[in-house]
Amino acid sequence: MVDQNIHSSSVGTSFQRTDLKDKVLGIAKYTADLSLPNMLHARVLRSPHPHANILSIDVQPALKMAGVHDILTPFNVGVGKIAPDVPILDTKVRFVGDEVAAIAAVNLYEADTAIDLIKISYDVLPFSTNIDTSLEMGNLKIHAHGNIVNGGPIVEARGNVEEGFGQADYIVEDSFTTPDHHPASLEPRAALASWDGARLTMWKPSRGIHADKAILAAALDVNPNNITVIGPVMGAGYGSKDETRTSILAALLSIRTGRPVKLELNREEEFLAGRRRHSTSTKIKMGVKKDGTVTAVHVKTVMDTGAYLSSGPGVVRRAGQGALYLYRCPNVKYEGQIVYTNTPTAGSYRALGAPQGHFALESLSDQIAEKLNMDPLKFRLMNHVGPEGQPGERTTPKNQIIDTQPVEGGVPFSSNELRQCLILGADAIGWDKRDQIPTPTGPIRRGLGMSMFIYRGGPGGQSNAEMSLDKDGCFTLNVGFMDVGEGSSTVVLQMAADTLGVLPQMISLNSGNTDNTPQSPMTAGSTLTFSAGQAAVRAANQLASVVIEAASEAIGLADTEGLYITPDGVCSMSGDGVKFADLANKSGLLKAAVSVTPGSKDYIVNSFGAHFAEIEVDIETGYVKITKYVAVHDSGRIINPKMAKGQVRGGISQMMGFTFLEDMEIDHSSGVTLNASFLEHKSPTIMEYPEIEVIFADSIDPVGPFGAKSLGETPCIAPAPTIANALYHATGVRLNHLPFTPDSVLTALKRLR
Amino acid sequence: MENHATKITFKVNGEQHTLDIDNRFTLLDILRDRLNLTGAKKGCDLGECGACTVILDGKAVNSCQILGVKITSSEIKTIEGLSQGDMLHPLQISFIENDGGQCGYCTPGFIMGAYPLFESKTNVSVEEIRLALAGNLCRCNAYGAIIDSVVGAIGIKVDG
Amino acid sequence: MKTFTFHKPTELEEASKLLKNIGQGHLLAGGTDLVTEMKQGVIEPNLLISASDIKDMSGMVWNNSGLTIGSMVTLDEIASDAGIGSRIKSLAEAAISIATPQIRNIATLGGNLCQRPRCWYYRNVRFNCLKKGGEKCFAVGGSDKYNAILGGSSCYIVHPSDSATALVALKAKVEIFRDLQRVSIPIDDFFVGPEVDVARENILEPGDILISVQIPKESMDGKSVYLKAKERQSMDFAIASVAVMVKMEKGLITEAGIAAGGVAPIPWHLSSVEGKLIGYFVEDIDVKAISSEVFADARILGQNGYKLQLVQTYLERALNLVLR
Repeated sequence: MVDQNIHSSSVGTSFQRTDLKDKVLGIAKYTADLSLPNMLHARVLRSPHPHANILSIDVQPALKMAGVHDILTPFNVGVGKIAPDVPILDTKVRFVGDEVAAIAAVNLYEADTAIDLIKISYDVLPFSTNIDTSLEMGNLKIHAHGNIVNGGPIVEARGNVEEGFGQADYIVEDSFTTPDHHPASLEPRAALASWDGARLTMWKPSRGIHADKAILAAALDVNPNNITVIGPVMGAGYGSKDETRTSILAALLSIRTGRPVKLELNREEEFLAGRRRHSTSTKIKMGVKKDGTVTAVHVKTVMDTGAYLSSGPGVVRRAGQGALYLYRCPNVKYEGQIVYTNTPTAGSYRALGAPQGHFALESLSDQIAEKLNMDPLKFRLMNHVGPEGQPGERTTPKNQIIDTQPVEGGVPFSSNELRQCLILGADAIGWDKRDQIPTPTGPIRRGLGMSMFIYRGGPGGQSNAEMSLDKDGCFTLNVGFMDVGEGSSTVVLQMAADTLGVLPQMISLNSGNTDNTPQSPMTAGSTLTFSAGQAAVRAANQLASVVIEAASEAIGLADTEGLYITPDGVCSMSGDGVKFADLANKSGLLKAAVSVTPGSKDYIVNSFGAHFAEIEVDIETGYVKITKYVAVHDSGRIINPKMAKGQVRGGISQMMGFTFLEDMEIDHSSGVTLNASFLEHKSPTIMEYPEIEVIFADSIDPVGPFGAKSLGETPCIAPAPTIANALYHATGVRLNHLPFTPDSVLTALKRLR
Repeated sequence: MENHATKITFKVNGEQHTLDIDNRFTLLDILRDRLNLTGAKKGCDLGECGACTVILDGKAVNSCQILGVKITSSEIKTIEGLSQGDMLHPLQISFIENDGGQCGYCTPGFIMGAYPLFESKTNVSVEEIRLALAGNLCRCNAYGAIIDSVVGAIGIKVDG
Repeated sequence: MKTFTFHKPTELEEASKLLKNIGQGHLLAGGTDLVTEMKQGVIEPNLLISASDIKDMSGMVWNNSGLTIGSMVTLDEIASDAGIGSRIKSLAEAAISIATPQIRNIATLGGNLCQRPRCWYYRNVRFNCLKKGGEKCFAVGGSDKYNAILGGSSCYIVHPSDSATALVALKAKVEIFRDLQRVSIPIDDFFVGPEVDVARENILEPGDILISVQIPKESMDGKSVYLKAKERQSMDFAIASVAVMVKMEKGLITEAGIAAGGVAPIPWHLSSVEGKLIGYFVEDIDVKAISSEVFADARILGQNGYKLQLVQTYLERALNLVLR
């Protein structure tokens, strides 16, 4: 008998993260934990110069060492490219730490000794460690096409800002800068390559195995059909991890030596040759009427991308979205420019440009509220973009999906609970008592600050999923995406289980190998819950039909009328039923495969939130303590509350580094990064962790799977402006330059006196 | 005089090992490369992240900072020695229940960092937990859930 | 890391001879700093002498003249010792403020006193700075946010040791094994600034061994405190710190020791402040005036001016804590 009384309702419960047991046992295997028989170890020789042409490399003394098997140099690697501006190895180096050569040896000690024997002749060039110098270096180009990417800024506009400023009673403008801090995932980049003479197998921490496969195939000029990419458990990336030469060098060494090769970056290399967040310099100008109505917003941002472009265009575009869309306004303009410098490369880091853009926007918003003599919360309640969207005309054709970063007006949001976020947060922090802070007697000043944000809601690229009922009566959900440590595989499993009507533990998720998974986009842009979720839901729905059809046949019914799925099997109203294992035996493999293009043709899908902080500033030491932090998020329906809460708390704490501590320090006379270590690039420890109250707005998105929207990156956007606004409230000093280290706070306070 | 290798004898998770090692090997290198115990991670190799934390003669240490030549006669406990067959240690159970790990790379280090505190206490404040784990970095910043996990583990120990 | 030979002597004599006779030899205590320097290629010793089995360097002894702490005693043992916690609070506070629990379990008092500077130019092999035998101090005109505001001549490192600052204020002595003799010297004389020898931070010569530290009874049982400003609340060195010890009888100050850390190439003994305390009644002491005057000869480089305000504030707060 099939038990009809078990029901599946995993969505909305804190189902246990699927891979956590292996992690707490210490048996989860990350790339660096893998080794193969006969394996060689690789090391990279890095440039000591910030900018130089390599004239010649003498590898002979190193190659003569018994333990050394191969050395790659720009002169023997072919012409393949990893990115348009990144050859496999280049005869020009562009920052201190840039890859010059790679060596494969029997062990790392041999490799290190051999590296010291490689003789390189450099033609050292003038260099730039900051945007201003890069712009002035007219006669010297870091890349052939010049130091300004695409020769000028991207420009996005709605309405006419000049007209908007003309209608304003007050115009407030200011400048802000943000530092280049580093995601520095605890797992450094690593790659294990094995070439068997015909096929390349690559194990690497990956945000997208299928994308990695395409990059490897193109760079190495190997048929993609002869490449397998495997993504072991990943020690996080926060948007970073791919994009570098690491895997290509390991692959090439393996192809040339015919032996497996492992290349692990050490911590310093991870800081130098990984990808940091773009530092920015922003000029922002807002116009308002006396009644508080916003008439114009104009933002110009310049970003330092370092030596290579990486994901710069995406980052600079995203930095402008707050300015273009967070406040209801007919006239907005954003100009974003990217500049090369001879410093470590910037790339994707959680929420891309949004934290930088919102820092300027939400700081200035408080300044405008003050100009209007209006409470900052009231100003936002009055002006935040509402469910109806922005004023203006839709420009996207009717039959096309609406972009998640639109410029046009005239398109409503699928859901927008920003107002609810503002109200719930204000209530939780006690905003109404903001001006009742007692007059201080000692050096401690207390303050309350807040800010809000808007972000892409989850629609990403084409997503595929396959689902099957297997011989043993269990199910397999086959996907091509990677769980990078955030827990997407657990959430997607929950949605598939509920859709099908079974328990999540009855489904095993297959991912992480390009040979047996469908194509999938990278884990990026907070898209997985929404996009991979939609694919999984559709696959589960399709499989449900297939299973019911097969069950009707197996039971011997004329049609599928009245049949339904329970975790125990397929049941009918009359009491007949068939268990999954029996069904699988009778019907053979039952499967479904779907491909979805996530998004909406009628609505903008965006997520929102508002953060509030109460802080204490010691005005004699510059030390800031967060006494209470409240984060309210509209991410639609929350699929797994415990994991979602962890994601929000973690994102905020991570950005306490951006706000208070982290900044890559470059020595301007040499181009050397001085603090490429966990000791000196001071990421937050458990001692810095503030108590954070997480509130999820009551929100169900009509487009998202189970009503869900994006969450992964969104906690990172509001922390810095929230703290900046609290600092101003506490001290009367506005800090425009992150991070707020004791020395910068003290210096700012001194200026006030 | 020119001997760059040393024979060492030590115990890991109760099992005795005698190895000839290159003098440059750290305890972390020995665990990972010689004994295939890869639970301790090489997050920085400089004692600045705690991902390689193990228990050396009862104390939590960064195994990347301990030269192998120093560990003769020592007893070492690693994350792999914490569970007994299918029986998970209360810290492991609680880290699962409280979602105390995200990407998991720091998790073995945090659990071993919390182990001496767990062993010595029946009652623990959040401040004590913070101080005990102040040498472990979690870049997912799952610190809130990690604190919950240690509190939970001591609850399991006391209440069964 | 370059390879090395390893010895584990049990006697000071043997250790000292080995260190003296073999060129690039180093004494290995906890190793938390030494091994890091070796991994980063800042030093390349060909011999390591373990101090673990030398019994003269281990253990703590309380007697009539005070407390003797072997240089191999770990920072954790100091931080968690009940006697030190109640009678020499500043030392316990300094010890617990250092590094991380994992490091304090291994790192020793001797190692902490002999720790090499954290100046990022010194620690980076790409800079051949003055301290490493090069031509210049790269912090001058470079990124000098963490560098010295006091006592920097030619080289602007700050001494990294928290315990050193506390011990200077406690008027400790150190015992050294030199030329087969044991010699005891005031801790002030142990540290040397760049004007004496830019290549090192203390008087130890090849073959010399720091055996132990003695804290005199006169410095115990008064009030003492160690305050440390750091950017991050764990895993961080002092951007400024202050150690204060005072003893009072009926409001009259009879003994005082004051030192600042994180601001100079050596633990900075503020003996002039001691002169303004000893022999005075508490109510006659103007803490604010003392704190603002004592650093008059500070020399600010480019970005380290905030340290002056920090060290003044911390001195004022530390004095207030022990005097009020």
